[in-house]
Amino acid sequence: MSTLCIQNACLVQTGESSPVKTDLLIVDGIIQEIGVGLAVPSDAVCYDAAGQILMPGLCDPHVHLREPGREDSETIASGTEAAIAGGYTRLLAMPNTDPPIDAGGMVTYVKSMAQNQSRIPVSVAGCLTRGRKGDKLAEIADMAAQGAVMMTDCNHALQDEYVLRRALEYTRDFDVVVGVYPDTPALSGEGVMHEGEMSFRLGLQGIPAMAEEIAIERELRVACAVGGRIHIQNVSTGEGVASIRRFKAQGLQVTAETTPHHLLLNHSALVGYHTRFKMMPPLRTPEDQEALLAGLLDGTLDMIATGHAPHTDFEKHLDFMHAPFGVTGLETALPALYTELVKTGKMSWAVLVEKMSTAPRKLLKVEALHLRVGERFEATLFDPEGETVISRESMKSRSFNSPWLGETLSGKVTQVFLGNEALMG
Amino acid sequence: MSTHNPVQTRKDLLTIGDLSRDEVIQILDTAQPFKELFTRSVKKVPTLRGKTVLNLFYEPSTRTRTSFEIAAKRLSADVTNFAVSTSSVVKGESILDTIDTLQAMQVDYIIVRHSCSGVPEYIARHTHASVLNAGDGHHAHPTQALLDAFTFREVYPDMAGKRIVVAGDILHSRVARSVFEVMHMLGVEVATFGPATLVPKTIPSYVRLLKTFDEVLEFNPHVLYLLRLQLERQKANFFPSMREYHNRYGVTMERFKILRERGTWIMHPGPVNRGVELVDDVMTYPRTLINQQVENGIAIRMAVLYHLTPEEQKRLPLPEEIRS
Repeated sequence: MSTLCIQNACLVQTGESSPVKTDLLIVDGIIQEIGVGLAVPSDAVCYDAAGQILMPGLCDPHVHLREPGREDSETIASGTEAAIAGGYTRLLAMPNTDPPIDAGGMVTYVKSMAQNQSRIPVSVAGCLTRGRKGDKLAEIADMAAQGAVMMTDCNHALQDEYVLRRALEYTRDFDVVVGVYPDTPALSGEGVMHEGEMSFRLGLQGIPAMAEEIAIERELRVACAVGGRIHIQNVSTGEGVASIRRFKAQGLQVTAETTPHHLLLNHSALVGYHTRFKMMPPLRTPEDQEALLAGLLDGTLDMIATGHAPHTDFEKHLDFMHAPFGVTGLETALPALYTELVKTGKMSWAVLVEKMSTAPRKLLKVEALHLRVGERFEATLFDPEGETVISRESMKSRSFNSPWLGETLSGKVTQVFLGNEALMG
Repeated sequence: MSTHNPVQTRKDLLTIGDLSRDEVIQILDTAQPFKELFTRSVKKVPTLRGKTVLNLFYEPSTRTRTSFEIAAKRLSADVTNFAVSTSSVVKGESILDTIDTLQAMQVDYIIVRHSCSGVPEYIARHTHASVLNAGDGHHAHPTQALLDAFTFREVYPDMAGKRIVVAGDILHSRVARSVFEVMHMLGVEVATFGPATLVPKTIPSYVRLLKTFDEVLEFNPHVLYLLRLQLERQKANFFPSMREYHNRYGVTMERFKILRERGTWIMHPGPVNRGVELVDDVMTYPRTLINQQVENGIAIRMAVLYHLTPEEQKRLPLPEEIRS
């Protein structure tokens, strides 16, 4: 029997209006007791968490681990260590590996690799279509049977409405969700940043907001007609949020995510042509940022996903037009969101936990975490007075393409607990 | 390692927006005596003797490269051309690798032309050499804009309150962006004219948008600045045909007669598409400034190289060497 005691922590979780200061006693991974001034058994391992926030372990429903295929940019081991450093206790691995995860055998392979190489559980997504080519359905039932929880072609936006229709219909009776990346490639074309005054000024080809807006409308319209569970990834536009809100009001079963970078940054960050701000969808306008935040707060957007997309220095050192899209996010999400939204009072801890733990876990069909007696203990300890330096030296990810590289963010993840086990330090 | 003290002198020229109005005027003023040099049999001054200027052109451009080369040579600098194919990027050599190579060669000035916006800025961040943007993607072409301002000022010494129309493909034009900026900075009223597909709504707010050639005539510009139309734009459906473009947006014979009567000056960054932007007759019109623009380009590029060189490093020409 092993006992863990966390003293003087400020507990935050979904539904709690304000942090509660308390002690916790955890025995063999299960929360045994919660209360002020608990008696500490002599054999207990103790953590003094005075002044620190204790929240349910975070879950990222959109991570590119790159293994197999691009181990030079990330591996299952390095990616999951980055997740732990960021306060995550679970993530969903995207299937755009090389080869892609588009068959049951690949799901099994990645899951077994993760079992050996990751200290936190990894959920796996499979491709919706074979080889992510967008024309023929992949063997969805087989992948689902091996444990894949989402079917998505990642950044290869489904262009064919017929395939989208059949995919949603076919998966309706499976326990999987269809993840769609909302883009209209004919409109985004060769664009590299949001189309607007900034793209004109910088002389870079733009990606108009309508490329996303039209895609969301089209995808939700099809989902409305045929049913099925649909999840919209990477929402970046205010109009996109408005569409989702409208369809949700009509009763459509849809979930949607946005990212920390789309919430916290906008296209003016691209002055200077730093490729660590090049992503797809692109950083939009301050108005879009406001709409995304409002969408999170009113429940239109269900969750925050990092879309963690590691790329090597060599790739990101290409010119702005040729460097790949994508930024890392696992290690910056929590401190960045804390700095800009929680600390400033724009978002409560309870909402943050809902968006970064409860809702993503529900999407992945794993049990929600509650910091209550009798529940499994899986939690993140965060020091709001600490700070996180985002540097090449500090990051666990193999890649350094973070928009916050070189910056110091408020707050710091000090420990991550999986049952009685402390994963950091 | 650093060859200059960046506190005292501007290291790079990347966009017009980097310059203050005073600096722009200073560059134009400096170009004047350099231009006067050209009428002499010996067109050279010793200002940059011992300095190395490197032309790094990722995009072919004989005209601009030659102009920089002559400018540097007339300042007595050593000039080298570093030929790079854009395909080297694909082959696994990043721009950074090239910059490291150039850094090791200790060049003093790098003149960069690249088809991707932002590359000169990226290079400037990673080298001690002075970087001069000779055109990047659709972003900026500051020396072109400065030579255009110089040419404008030769015709109208007091530019404030004068009017210019920049016509054509604004969306894909680095020249348009830089010309807008420099003209606005010098108090010229700026308007633009072209197909709506090529004149985005996101142009700077100080630029007036004209929709028909009649509106251009009504605006009555002192200078009509025609941009070169890239022929491949037609394929991407920005407009249906060259013929239609010429008829609606070009200087047709009929329009040319009106402009000639009014004495409107014509500018064009070259090379010209005859029968598209303008009819052939415009080329022989005495108020077409295209050749002056080319000549002034050399003087302006000399002035810019001069401007980016710290005082103590200049081997200053004696006044009589220039004026004589």
